[in-house]
Amino acid sequence: MKHLTVIALLACVAGLQAAPAKTPKKGKLVPADAVKAAEARQSEFYERGEIPTPAGEVCEVGSIALLPGKKVAIGTRRGDVWVVEGAYDADLSKVKWTKFASNIHEPLGMFWKEGSLFAMQRPEFTRMTDRDGDGRADRFETVCSKWGVSGDYHEYAFGSDPDKDGNVWAVFCLTGSFHAHAPWRGWGAKITPDGKFIPVASGIRSPGGIGANGEGDMFYTDNQGVWNGSSSLKWLRPGSFQGNPTGNKSYALADFPAPPEPQSGSRILTERLNHPAFVPPAVFLPHGKVGNSPSGVGCDLARGKFGPWQGQILVGEQTASQVQRVALEKVNGLYQGAVFHFLGGFEAGLVPVRMDQEDGTLFVGGTNRGWGSRGSKPFTFERVRFKGRTPFEMRAIAAKHDGFEIEFTHPVDAAAAADVENYALDTFTYIYQSSYGSPEVDQTEPTVKSAVVSADGLRVRLVVDGLVRGHVHHLVVTDVKSKSGDALWHPEAWYTLNEIPAK
Amino acid sequence: MRPSSLLALLASAALLSAAEDGAQVYNTLCVACHGPDGKGLNGLPPLVGSEWPKGPAERSIKIVLNGMTGPVEVAGMTYNIDMPPQGAVLSDEKIAAALTYVRDKFAGGAGAVTPAQVAAVRAQTAKRATPWTAAELLKAHPFPPAKTALKNLVGMMYKGEWKTLPDFSALKPALMEDFNAGVIDPAQSGLKDHFAMVWTAQFEAKEDGKYNFVFDCDDFGALYVGGERIAEIKGIGPVGGRRKEVPVILKKGLTPIRIEYVEFAGHEVVVLGYKGPKDKEIKWLSKTKANAPKPRVSIPIEAKDGVTAVYRNFIAGVSPRGLGFGFPNGMNIAYSADSLAAELIWSGKFMDGGHHWTDRGSGTEPPAGTSVVKLSADAQGVLLEGGAGSVQRFAREKQGNEWTFSAVKVAAEFKGYDLDAAGNPTFRAAGEGVSLTDAWIPEAIGGKPGLKRTLKSEGDRPVTVVLARDLASEGADGATVLGGSLSLRPLSGPQPKAADKLLTVTLKPGETAVLGYSFR
Repeated sequence: MKHLTVIALLACVAGLQAAPAKTPKKGKLVPADAVKAAEARQSEFYERGEIPTPAGEVCEVGSIALLPGKKVAIGTRRGDVWVVEGAYDADLSKVKWTKFASNIHEPLGMFWKEGSLFAMQRPEFTRMTDRDGDGRADRFETVCSKWGVSGDYHEYAFGSDPDKDGNVWAVFCLTGSFHAHAPWRGWGAKITPDGKFIPVASGIRSPGGIGANGEGDMFYTDNQGVWNGSSSLKWLRPGSFQGNPTGNKSYALADFPAPPEPQSGSRILTERLNHPAFVPPAVFLPHGKVGNSPSGVGCDLARGKFGPWQGQILVGEQTASQVQRVALEKVNGLYQGAVFHFLGGFEAGLVPVRMDQEDGTLFVGGTNRGWGSRGSKPFTFERVRFKGRTPFEMRAIAAKHDGFEIEFTHPVDAAAAADVENYALDTFTYIYQSSYGSPEVDQTEPTVKSAVVSADGLRVRLVVDGLVRGHVHHLVVTDVKSKSGDALWHPEAWYTLNEIPAK
Repeated sequence: MRPSSLLALLASAALLSAAEDGAQVYNTLCVACHGPDGKGLNGLPPLVGSEWPKGPAERSIKIVLNGMTGPVEVAGMTYNIDMPPQGAVLSDEKIAAALTYVRDKFAGGAGAVTPAQVAAVRAQTAKRATPWTAAELLKAHPFPPAKTALKNLVGMMYKGEWKTLPDFSALKPALMEDFNAGVIDPAQSGLKDHFAMVWTAQFEAKEDGKYNFVFDCDDFGALYVGGERIAEIKGIGPVGGRRKEVPVILKKGLTPIRIEYVEFAGHEVVVLGYKGPKDKEIKWLSKTKANAPKPRVSIPIEAKDGVTAVYRNFIAGVSPRGLGFGFPNGMNIAYSADSLAAELIWSGKFMDGGHHWTDRGSGTEPPAGTSVVKLSADAQGVLLEGGAGSVQRFAREKQGNEWTFSAVKVAAEFKGYDLDAAGNPTFRAAGEGVSLTDAWIPEAIGGKPGLKRTLKSEGDRPVTVVLARDLASEGADGATVLGGSLSLRPLSGPQPKAADKLLTVTLKPGETAVLGYSFR
């Protein structure tokens, strides 16, 4: 055998081995193990408690609403609405349940307002009122039912809380998640208090939840599939196109300019520059790495009662039975930011995420019917409370014209934090295409040129050579400890760099 | 280092790397449903114990590339869950590695899959845009015929018309044939109606113990084991209700078995299976096994403690915004919030939630009761004089394979419903200048369990309510009989009118019409 052949063969083997995700320069990080290790530390910072559901009842939680008097309501996939007392108490074994309504049509989004529970049912948005005070709803008012329903099981409708004008926003999944067999499938709309239906955005595929940030801008999660290379958190900017043209058929019904007809096999950046209505995902939740099926959208506005995450988005995750944390910022008019792993170990696949902003209690619920989940119970209703000890974490990441600024929750040990070898950065994007999902493509490896620690030790400014507009920037921080010697609870982040800020 | 040992090293490094890659792909993507051990997570299909990942690689490659949709039987269970396509996500190499991992780890060493095989299937199916169905895949890549416990199977066919089992010894078989597959099937006769078949074979018991035989047929027949008649299905009828399960103690080895079967007319089906001492599932000896009771869960929804039950979901025969109500006296209705009409009325059981409340709950669920009368279907049930109306809705229409949408005007739309203390509904609808309430309570009508319906209109113009559409009606004893079984009796207020296949009642502003429904 000639040496040349051997070398070629070796190179080929090396290529094969290098194909998996890039490993950091220092230390070792196997993502799945890192997530497991982090989940094992969760109880240092957060207390997770299962709230017993009514005995003998199947409570696949799809909605959670907060009621006056520390009562909480859940809506189930089977369509029952239950109200619980005692969900805030120390002893959860004593909770008391009352049935408010039976067998409505799969409510996904529910809130309390002006003496009534409002629910986004699959076919209509409904106000439910207990007029005689016996604890059961006796009036069901259809506020709006203008969208099309074909009878397909996948035509989910998720509803938000009211915005500042009292409008409720809804996102309507495509038929079977692939087609638009009825009007407004693949659209988002807002419903005014008097029931008017105002389409606000097109291009939706398969949502898992909807909710606003602290500024009142509305976001929803959209799942990996056709035209979605990966799942992501998307901003429902009024008038926007979210990337999936299947629902363009309903443009004829809307007072909208002509729909974008994007190119399959392209990149989102290219297409959105061609089509200004196309709003790119605010934050990709990289498929298989961050999760597989994002669901509910919550926001931490509890002013520190849930930890130092004021204003950040909490995203439910059905498959991995987790809650991820998203820190957003707005650059050049577009939302972008980083997703971090956060809470895990829930008992079923999570769907709704509901933060009590007064009390700082996070309620979550879920199900694994029809879609598998790491949590092995068929359904769950849980609460999470902050124990008061702030984990050492990257609180947020801000894009800079020449790099990033990482904000930590505790002052860092300056020596390690100033070592560029402790930051491993790689970037990638997805093919924007009509087929299902996408591999990660166009990988690059930027170089961290310098890491400068702020005087208070809370910020590290990274100067990076090789930022790529439109790419997900995957950052792994190794061997950076807090001043008091704590390791990072979650050392990984994925920042979606839609725009690079000006100097 | 000598080239040969270097080569060996290289080869093993390459293999190792491929195997790791396969595990990585599996544990990133497939694990979410099939589980780390391949046994399927939480009611999702397993790979272990399944025939699907075994055999020709093409079948598995197709599934990974384009996904699967619709019902599929895996390891004796039926699943109805979509598998998302991965062809656009994964390279040929990654698919080959993942399938090699699956076949090695969960399919008993079914053999490695190469990137070239994946590339070939990808090219061959490039035009395929939709997920595969189980039937399509099995047609192209069938499972290998299982060897059954029936050895030396022979079939005999007889032409004739019988309503009881004949004495076969007195008859001359028209055909005798040898059946190597060890599977019995009336289709082997090549005939449709008026014939009989007798199969004889040696049943192979793998060990001593109890063998539970399952036997059923359409129309009738008998099963003999060890020369003894252990089960008989009598008379003309379908499979299901008459199914027999009989335990027999057998010694390890061969025991004679004989199946006599007669088809009168209609469907021809024989169901034969057994469960041996160590079997967890029934092993089938007949082609038909689908008539075994499915492990579908039944979740009856019914009125409780005198309170009417509700079911809001996709009900078969009702437009998508359906509202079912099951009253304590055994009467049931399904009202459509799309058409503002009572579309179905039936008696007996209300609904079964076992379908919509398990798996993903796709499709529609028919009423659980009997004598379902379709009063109206998908057409406006509230009409105003002088035109369509002024309420904007959106309609859809299928043109060829495409759905097209339009904005339309209708007379009225659904405004919701109230429930009284007993859970009985009053539906509300409103349009320009009018509102209508439509209340239903259980009450004896003409001495039979029935429903009293009270329609009341308010506003500035008359409202016409469609009571039945395209339904045969005849008058009898002051009542209208609909569909031959439902009696509709005006109790007070304006009288129903029949014209142009429509039965309607028109209410002037402020007027109330009371109607009674009961089954004859």
